[in-house]
Amino acid sequence: MPSPRIDQARPYLTLGIVLLAWLVLPTVFKRVLRVSFYELQAPVEISFSYLRDLQDFWALKTRSKNEIIEAARDQARGLGAAYEVTLQENTALHAEIERLETLLRLPSQVDYRSEPARVVLRDFNAWWQRITIRKGSTQGITVGSPVIYAGGVAGRVTEVHAYTSVVELISSPGVRIAATFEGDTRPVGFQGGVNAPFVAPRGRVEFVPLDIFATAAQPRRLVTSGLGGVYPPGLALGRVVSLETDTDGLFKTGGVQLDPRLGELNEVVVLVPLPSAP
Amino acid sequence: MADIITPRPGGLVESHRSFDPRVILFYFVLAGLLLTLAIGLAYQQLIKSDYYHESAKVQNQRRILIPGPRGNIYDREGRLLVGNRARFAVTLYLDELRPEFRREYLRIRNNYREADDAGLPSAGQIEILARHSVVQRYLDQVNRIIDRTEKVDSRDLHRHYLQQRLLPFVLIEDLTPEEYARLYEQLPVTSPLQLYTSSTRYYPYGAAAAHTLGYVSINNAIEASEDFPGSDLRTFKMKGAIGRNGLEAEFDDRLQGETGGIIYRVDPSGYRVEPPLEKRTPVQGGSLTVTLDIDMQIAAEKAMGELGLAGACVALDVRTGEVLTLASLPAYDLNDFSPRLGQATAAQINEQGAWINRATQGLYPPGSTFKLITALAGLRAGTITPLSVVECTGAYRVGGRIFVCNNHRDRGDIDLLHAIEKSCNTFFYHYGLATGPDAIAIEARRFGLDDPTGIELPHEARAMIIPDPAWKKERRGEPWYAGDTANVSIGQGDIAVTPLQMATVIAGLARGRTNISPHILHDPSRPVQNPPRLDLPTSQLMPFYAGMQAVPITGTARIMNTPFMKIQGLTIAGKTGTAQKRTPKGTLNFAWFVGYAPVENPQVAVAVMMEGDTPGEDTGGGRFAAPIANAVLKVWHAKQAAPAVDSDAPAPSSGP
Repeated sequence: MPSPRIDQARPYLTLGIVLLAWLVLPTVFKRVLRVSFYELQAPVEISFSYLRDLQDFWALKTRSKNEIIEAARDQARGLGAAYEVTLQENTALHAEIERLETLLRLPSQVDYRSEPARVVLRDFNAWWQRITIRKGSTQGITVGSPVIYAGGVAGRVTEVHAYTSVVELISSPGVRIAATFEGDTRPVGFQGGVNAPFVAPRGRVEFVPLDIFATAAQPRRLVTSGLGGVYPPGLALGRVVSLETDTDGLFKTGGVQLDPRLGELNEVVVLVPLPSAP
Repeated sequence: MADIITPRPGGLVESHRSFDPRVILFYFVLAGLLLTLAIGLAYQQLIKSDYYHESAKVQNQRRILIPGPRGNIYDREGRLLVGNRARFAVTLYLDELRPEFRREYLRIRNNYREADDAGLPSAGQIEILARHSVVQRYLDQVNRIIDRTEKVDSRDLHRHYLQQRLLPFVLIEDLTPEEYARLYEQLPVTSPLQLYTSSTRYYPYGAAAAHTLGYVSINNAIEASEDFPGSDLRTFKMKGAIGRNGLEAEFDDRLQGETGGIIYRVDPSGYRVEPPLEKRTPVQGGSLTVTLDIDMQIAAEKAMGELGLAGACVALDVRTGEVLTLASLPAYDLNDFSPRLGQATAAQINEQGAWINRATQGLYPPGSTFKLITALAGLRAGTITPLSVVECTGAYRVGGRIFVCNNHRDRGDIDLLHAIEKSCNTFFYHYGLATGPDAIAIEARRFGLDDPTGIELPHEARAMIIPDPAWKKERRGEPWYAGDTANVSIGQGDIAVTPLQMATVIAGLARGRTNISPHILHDPSRPVQNPPRLDLPTSQLMPFYAGMQAVPITGTARIMNTPFMKIQGLTIAGKTGTAQKRTPKGTLNFAWFVGYAPVENPQVAVAVMMEGDTPGEDTGGGRFAAPIANAVLKVWHAKQAAPAVDSDAPAPSSGP
């Protein structure tokens, strides 16, 4: 019969053995275990997401059909007209881009396929700002794909699972994007800031040429340059509200006000790069 | 004294003495030892602590110095002449790769083991191989992103690892903005691969004013300011820049940026430990605003360049002495020096003879432009008067030698006005001989032709020559001949001056004074210079100035009066010159023009000298130098007529 003292230490002993076993386990095994756990956990989060959608559905059901139809029709009329104009402009611009690319013998920009996705989970803290979306490798999403929303660039896919993906938002300090000021062609650098939760998200812009000016009273719009090879050009990032010359006198650095809707995203679009034509 | 204990019946007797000499001795020894320890401890802790603290600090702290960008140089209208451009590089922090180095080392070692250690290198060699392999992997990652095929230089990597482990290893320098953008977006923020931005000199106008602006070279010995701590630490220095010529060299102290730096704690292997203990951002150096007008400078260089000859052109503000143009051709593109000059370019500059600033360092015989000095010397000595006349037959006998007039022309009777207008040698031979070499030399010295001008530029020529009998005796041990006087009278012989000196002379003459002092640093409140007046009666000076005014109209520079060259609304006075000099290639001509404008209110003076390149070719001042002065004056005149325009250039910051 074991002595009482050893008997009392049994839980600690077991814990120690488990920890030791975890340490010596091969990395591959641990990775498989972690992914499996995530994939097991994911359906729970997805179910909650569907439940929220159902909740929204029933909330709308409290309104009369006529009310909803009228509201949607009014909205659709305005949107339809705006989209029609934009479509015509885009067609003309696409033709012009193609002409210039042919003329200058430039390689075509990367083409993307749009993959809309609902947001499942938001994970905001001071170190990163991420969302989990309800699309994964099954829908062809790949790591590094750009993610956009109605306000411009949302972020970039950092992890892809079978049915979900993790997107790091541009308000996260781990995201860097080659940007330009709207109306300018020179590349500048955009990086997400250290943003606390429930605070208007901010980023910073660096390597700004000295002849560009922006203040809170006269902010400048910052858009993607397309030079970085990840994001298509012309997508909105935010508004530059301050610029100060660096002490070395080479460039300016400043603050970027990001769209507050970044903190309450419900739906985003993943731009999945299409394989280039041979 | 020992106590006496009464023994108890049947019990043990316990006794001791109050002190035992051996124990006392032991106590003393013990106390002595403890005291020694205490003193030793106090010595080490109280007295030697600073020493140990410093030793530890020196051993486990490292300092990195980062040069501050140099200040900018602007022209008088605030346009950027010299600035800095960013230079992007992708670097690799080796200290973050230690685990990878170790894994790669083991992998290589195992590979050899599987091959029965055939040809097994030493442990050190395997370490080098492992490092190279890991670094190349990271470089391949960069190559994939920017579509390059760069390879790691193993020797560079090894040297860097041994000597500068604390600094990031530069994989690719001078990335294009597009490459930088790709890497910026695609490299993870936490990657050991990081983008590094440094500054290098940038010259928006390329070769314009190259000799005046100067260039920089790499400085491996940047210094921190005195108040930056850690002067006793082992220090790693990033490369800076130091001025080597022109304004970059002359005002190097002012242009140098304030060195920044970082102090890191390092582990026993020499790798840094984050975060840094001290960090100071480098600060850009003070800026300069120079007197040059880049429009006039470009006009001068363009006109000179069209001739394809070497030469110099100087334009001065006659009131303040500020240098508006200081051109010297052939020149070089200053951007070729940034970040370093290639051997092929250096050889080409050498071959063209482009290193020399001909405006301030080139010494030339001034030719007929010197006749102005001879004329003033004669007027002052009374040997020349407004009524002085000489019959020019195209030749003049001095002793046994015939001196020809220019073009051998028979001009008949010539007075001072026409002698200047037509540049008649005979007149000046005759009156130069009458005036004498000493009086001519004194007049030349009155205009400072025997001394450097003192302009704020390095390496100005100091060996200018104003010959006189004493000089010839002392320098050559030879007597002075009448032929020497004849030569000096027309700016030939041993006279050697710089184009800048002649510019100061004509700028002074424009205002009826002796030479002014040239300045290259712009000062909007610079006072008007008032050098000594000529101190000659106006009646005597009348033909002198009238002759100069006639030169660009009917005289030797009448090309300036032709319809395609004439500047409407601007009156010009001047004097041409064509000097000859024997060279190893043969006798070459040097074309000169000195002049000022407007005649009625002189504001700008110009001196041009162009070197002929073919022996026997008539490179005359009227054809080869006057048009260049005309081009400069045209730009100057256009600016006086045009309303002031706001400059888009950033406002120059004030210097320290």
